[in-house]
Amino acid sequence: MNEELDSQLSAMFDNELPPAECELLARRLSRDEQLKARWGRYAAIGATIRAEGGARLDAEVARRVRMAISTEPELAGTSVRAHTGPLVGRWWRPVAGGAVAASVAAASILWLRLQTTPEAGSVIAQAAPTRSALTAGGGAAMSAVNVPDSYVVPAKAPSRPSIFPPTQLAKYVVAHSEFSSPVTRRNLLSALMVNESGSASSGPETNEDVEDDAKSPQ
Amino acid sequence: MSADVSDLSLVRRVQRGDKGAFDALVLKYQHKLVKLVMRYVRNPAEAEDIAQEAFIKAYRALPQFRGDSAFYTWLYRIAINTAKNAVVSRDRSPIEYDLDRNSSEESYDMQGRMKDSETPEGLVLTDEIRSTVNAAIEALPEDLRTAIVLRELEGLSYEEIAAAMDCPVGTVRSRIFRAREAIDRRLREVFEGGLGRTEELG
Repeated sequence: MNEELDSQLSAMFDNELPPAECELLARRLSRDEQLKARWGRYAAIGATIRAEGGARLDAEVARRVRMAISTEPELAGTSVRAHTGPLVGRWWRPVAGGAVAASVAAASILWLRLQTTPEAGSVIAQAAPTRSALTAGGGAAMSAVNVPDSYVVPAKAPSRPSIFPPTQLAKYVVAHSEFSSPVTRRNLLSALMVNESGSASSGPETNEDVEDDAKSPQ
Repeated sequence: MSADVSDLSLVRRVQRGDKGAFDALVLKYQHKLVKLVMRYVRNPAEAEDIAQEAFIKAYRALPQFRGDSAFYTWLYRIAINTAKNAVVSRDRSPIEYDLDRNSSEESYDMQGRMKDSETPEGLVLTDEIRSTVNAAIEALPEDLRTAIVLRELEGLSYEEIAAAMDCPVGTVRSRIFRAREAIDRRLREVFEGGLGRTEELG
């Protein structure tokens, strides 16, 4: 047996052979039965030195596994893509995770807006005529008997979460309170407060403004 | 040097359909795996069965092995899971009453002895291998014995052994190889000495 080859085999057994040499020797090892027998004896030597008691030092397990594997199909063509480097193929994982999380968050926000905007609008649309409607109508309030229960909210698309300016709404509530029942009035005031608290941070108007406006005569 | 480069080259060959490369991996790790499994089952014969099952599972799962961890680490996990499952299923199986033995521990030990006694040549060979290797190690020159023991017993890399022995890495590689050759020369005589099991190592 070639001494250089045996020396390489010993180094390969210890995972100390350069990768290029490993490739060549692995190919030979898998085909050369004598070389494989030597490789198996190297394993037995190591097991004896480590005093791996209880285990048999012949190759009974290997023989049984070999027999079982001989009936198994070959793995050719089924292996996953070889891992080519420490970072390649991994960098996208956190990015993709972040993108998915951002997409879910964006979709949730959009969904919530779609859910809340028409509902808030409907509450107001059913109960709240706009200030312009009141003023334009002039004495329309007096002829409210003939007016349907719902009012039309201008279709102008709001650019902010609150679809109705709080001040305008407050003025409307005051105006409306003259003609509405106490229960309806209280509901409207609750809606106004919710709307106010939602837009307090971004809206230009404060609660004081609303209260002032509410107190002012219409 | 990558800690797993030679194992990985064999693994890649298996993934390309080379069963002989898997045989080399089994030959290399069979003793370690049986020893590992024996932490869970005390019976050597049962440990061998579990190790065999773990190797077969590993072979079937090898297409999914990507080399993110060392092959032995991956194999180790499979063996541990296989051993745990075996213990659980054994505990669930009906109890075999034996009036001659009181404890289950005794029962397992006896089973092990009985099963081993069915293959006495295996035990004889193992004993002979042990005594031959130990005698060969005793006969080695000091520098060769130190190198092989540091490698096999302590698990040091060639570089660490070189630092410990104050010599170049190439010298370490040569010493370990020569130690193995000296031991293997005597070990080969055991395998070729009439027990008729030489082919089982190859």
